[in-house]
Amino acid sequence: MRIKNAKDFWAGLMFLAFGVGFMVVARNYAMGTAVRMGPAYFPTVLGGILAFLGLVVFLRSFFIRPEAVGLFRLRPMAIVLAAIIVFAVTLKPLGLVVSTILLIVIGSFASHEFTWRAALVLAVVLAAFSVAVFFYGLGLPFNVWPAFLE
Amino acid sequence: MDLLGNLALGFGVALQGINLLYAFFGVLLGTLIGVLPGIGPVATIAMLLPVTFTLPPVSALIMLAGIYYGAQYGGSTTAILVNLPGESSSVVTTLDGYQMARQGRAGPALGIAAIGSFIAGTFATFLIALAAPPLADVALKFGPAEYFSLMVLGLIAATVLAHGSLIKAIAMVVLGLLLGLVGTDVNSGVARFNFAIPELSDGIGFVTVAMGMFGIAEIVANLDTAEKREVFTAKLTHLLPTAKDFKDSAGAITRGTLLGSALGILPGGGALLASFAAYTLEKKAAKDASRFGKGDIRGVAGPESANNAGAQTSFIPLLTLGIPSNAVMALMIGAMMIQGIAPGPQVMTEKPDLFWGMIASMWVGNLMLVILNLPMIGLWIKLLTVPYRLLYPAILLFCCIGVYSVNNSTFDIFLMVGFAVLGYVCVKLACEPAPLILGFILGPMMEENLRRALLLSRGNPMTFLEKPISATLLAIAALLLLVVVAPAVRQKREEAFQE
Amino acid sequence: MRRVALFLALVLTLVAPVPAAAQGAVPAYPTKPIRFVVPFPPGGPLDITARAIGQKLTEAWGQPVVVDNRPGAGGSLGAELVAKAPADGYTLLMGAVSTHAINPHLYARVGYDPFRDFVPVALVAEVPNVLVVNPALPVNSVAELVALARAKPGYLNFGSGSTGSTGHLAGELFKSLAGVDMVHIPYKGAAPAMQDLLGGQVQLMFDNLASAAPQVKAGKLRALAVTTAQRSPAMPDLPTVNEAGVKGFDLSTWFGVFVPAGTPPEIVAKLNAGIVAALESKELRERLAAMGAEPRAGNTPAAFAAFVRAENAKYARVVKESGAKVD
Repeated sequence: MRIKNAKDFWAGLMFLAFGVGFMVVARNYAMGTAVRMGPAYFPTVLGGILAFLGLVVFLRSFFIRPEAVGLFRLRPMAIVLAAIIVFAVTLKPLGLVVSTILLIVIGSFASHEFTWRAALVLAVVLAAFSVAVFFYGLGLPFNVWPAFLE
Repeated sequence: MDLLGNLALGFGVALQGINLLYAFFGVLLGTLIGVLPGIGPVATIAMLLPVTFTLPPVSALIMLAGIYYGAQYGGSTTAILVNLPGESSSVVTTLDGYQMARQGRAGPALGIAAIGSFIAGTFATFLIALAAPPLADVALKFGPAEYFSLMVLGLIAATVLAHGSLIKAIAMVVLGLLLGLVGTDVNSGVARFNFAIPELSDGIGFVTVAMGMFGIAEIVANLDTAEKREVFTAKLTHLLPTAKDFKDSAGAITRGTLLGSALGILPGGGALLASFAAYTLEKKAAKDASRFGKGDIRGVAGPESANNAGAQTSFIPLLTLGIPSNAVMALMIGAMMIQGIAPGPQVMTEKPDLFWGMIASMWVGNLMLVILNLPMIGLWIKLLTVPYRLLYPAILLFCCIGVYSVNNSTFDIFLMVGFAVLGYVCVKLACEPAPLILGFILGPMMEENLRRALLLSRGNPMTFLEKPISATLLAIAALLLLVVVAPAVRQKREEAFQE
Repeated sequence: MRRVALFLALVLTLVAPVPAAAQGAVPAYPTKPIRFVVPFPPGGPLDITARAIGQKLTEAWGQPVVVDNRPGAGGSLGAELVAKAPADGYTLLMGAVSTHAINPHLYARVGYDPFRDFVPVALVAEVPNVLVVNPALPVNSVAELVALARAKPGYLNFGSGSTGSTGHLAGELFKSLAGVDMVHIPYKGAAPAMQDLLGGQVQLMFDNLASAAPQVKAGKLRALAVTTAQRSPAMPDLPTVNEAGVKGFDLSTWFGVFVPAGTPPEIVAKLNAGIVAALESKELRERLAAMGAEPRAGNTPAAFAAFVRAENAKYARVVKESGAKVD
């Protein structure tokens, strides 16, 4: 048997996994009864429905119109997510300015039109903007500069 | 009731120079923070609270209300331009608004959003002036059973948000419902699906999910198109809606206004449903629904009108009962208490200048927003001509700061990364995120009200059918379900699927 | 010598808005912005009072006091954050009955010890709860309520803002002391609970005085009693639950400022003096009175510490009796 619709094949598996996952974790909580539901009741029922729907989507993928999953390009995603993670990790210790610059410069690598000049200029402009708007303008509680300098 | 006299009193207060100034400051600030994704009016109003100590009460509340509905306007701008819904109400605006922007029709989308919102705001304001107290009594008729039935209706409507496979849309709704359950269970106090992470004990934030699944996932998907030059929009056409656009959206604006006004009255999540419900209504009322999800102007006009109407009428429970519908209203209650005003039913009789002044100022503020926003459309559109390689890092930054600012927590940024991955996978597997988001919003409310209703009825499920409002809502839900899954509709869907 | 310096600091904070002019024995404090952690979302009475105090301290000391909302897990997340912060007086916590008296007994685990990890600075406000009923309920007094509850066991519903809130625990305490059976209906916050009380979905609630008073005044709710041992000056005609026949009833909602354990006593004293001065300012006195809070004489760190200990011991009992538990 051949997978015809790869999108639905994987989507079905994903729903199935989520449904089963929620049901399994919900086993840690009290089930209760239909009239006095415990914390596990609602998620277990929903998890079951999701798993069933996932199964249907999965099985259906062998019969309906073929459709391939588009190209998964890991590079832009990895770079963008890495930039965000670096931002999150550095925000508290290094402050808003440094972490903003890191986010913009690393994030810019994801574009194949990357140039150092544009990335750096953009980083500095946005760092100034975010300090002005978010720290001074809106008074959000950020460290602006690295903690060890204060 | 002397409506004209009251309105005259209200406009007398609202048109005082100082109050005009504060209203303008409020809507301007609201628009600006609304445009910044994730930075909600809550953080801004909280910060401004100490400032309001020194202001006259009317001016303070006029300004805070201005920030609130100004932010609603600003939120739709970001949703249309860069697919970033900063508030749950803007999620549906992204569906057609963002597609319009990609097709170079950001101007008409923004224009119709502003004009539709103004018409809706005007109607809703007069509705409040005319009938706030009786409408508030209607709101009190909604107990847990009624809210549960309303949520069921909302969930069935959610599947209509998708334009692809119906079964996958339903699965996404259910997944959203489950994700919404993460966090402390209201009824038992048990923390569920939190994997011993304390930050998850209050659940996953809406902004985190929306920024991840819409904002970041969209950026990554755009960067996929590697070989071509990354161009964001096609050629820009009109700056403002054309005569045809107005003709197309007139019905949508009317229906959205009425629906939004009605739902906004319900403090337990009515306003949240307004834009979703309006979208469903438009898609189902349209003779030719094939353009929905691909840049149909009715998909912007209806929800935006409904959203703004709901935002205005959600002041009804606040002003007449002292019950806040959302976090912003809770802050306004705080602001009233700072001023020594006890928020409650007697505000209307004891402080008529405050009550009517605020109502009048809402209309004035809505007018200001239109005047402020229409000229700004040109400016926003210019933003789209910025090369994407410069635009997307800026969006990344705003997403990160927006998500962080909700709880001042870097954990939420990591969580957003997780949702970005999920969102990207969903894009690749043709699973649309909008139904998931609606499920996510409704999930906790639905479970909470279901269990509360059963607790109150001592376990008798007939409570949902014995209460007339609840039974009516369930009947409408059943009808809608029929419309959604009816074979004819399915056939039409399959056709769309085959194209 | 130290007492003189302290007195000097106190006088200066009261009189002169000069940044830490009191040199000498007192270390220069504050020399940088102070973070004031509020472990709840913005907008509640606690948050608003924290902002008002923050503004007063900012004016008095010339260093910004920035409110930082860190909501989560009934206030436990914010409290844990402050417990682990440096003990230098630059991180304050607006603690509450929940963070320091209830949660340690209610939650299976909290990430801090309410005594070992904190130094109490000053009690900010103590607010009574009010027993209110929907006017459709045919009772005019606590005695009639008890009689009705006895006649129809399990018929009455009482709402509360969340499991483990003072409103919930007050109801549970009422059940056990009056020997009646009622069903607890938890909500996500006091506002939706109030909505269902007004709509008659639930019949009674132990709500805080600030939000109940206007509804009572407008005739939308009927107040039966206050939950504190003494009557409230805000509603002097209202009996206490104790007076009305349910003996041993004394509950209130309170909040106050804490700093991490190990903070130098000079800084604690200065903070206490600054906060007390802020609380005694006209605007804050009025605002607190509007919330039903009573000014407290002898608001010293030591008195506050004793108060917290007593409250903690009381809720250890109440939580246990109520059977409430949060994992």
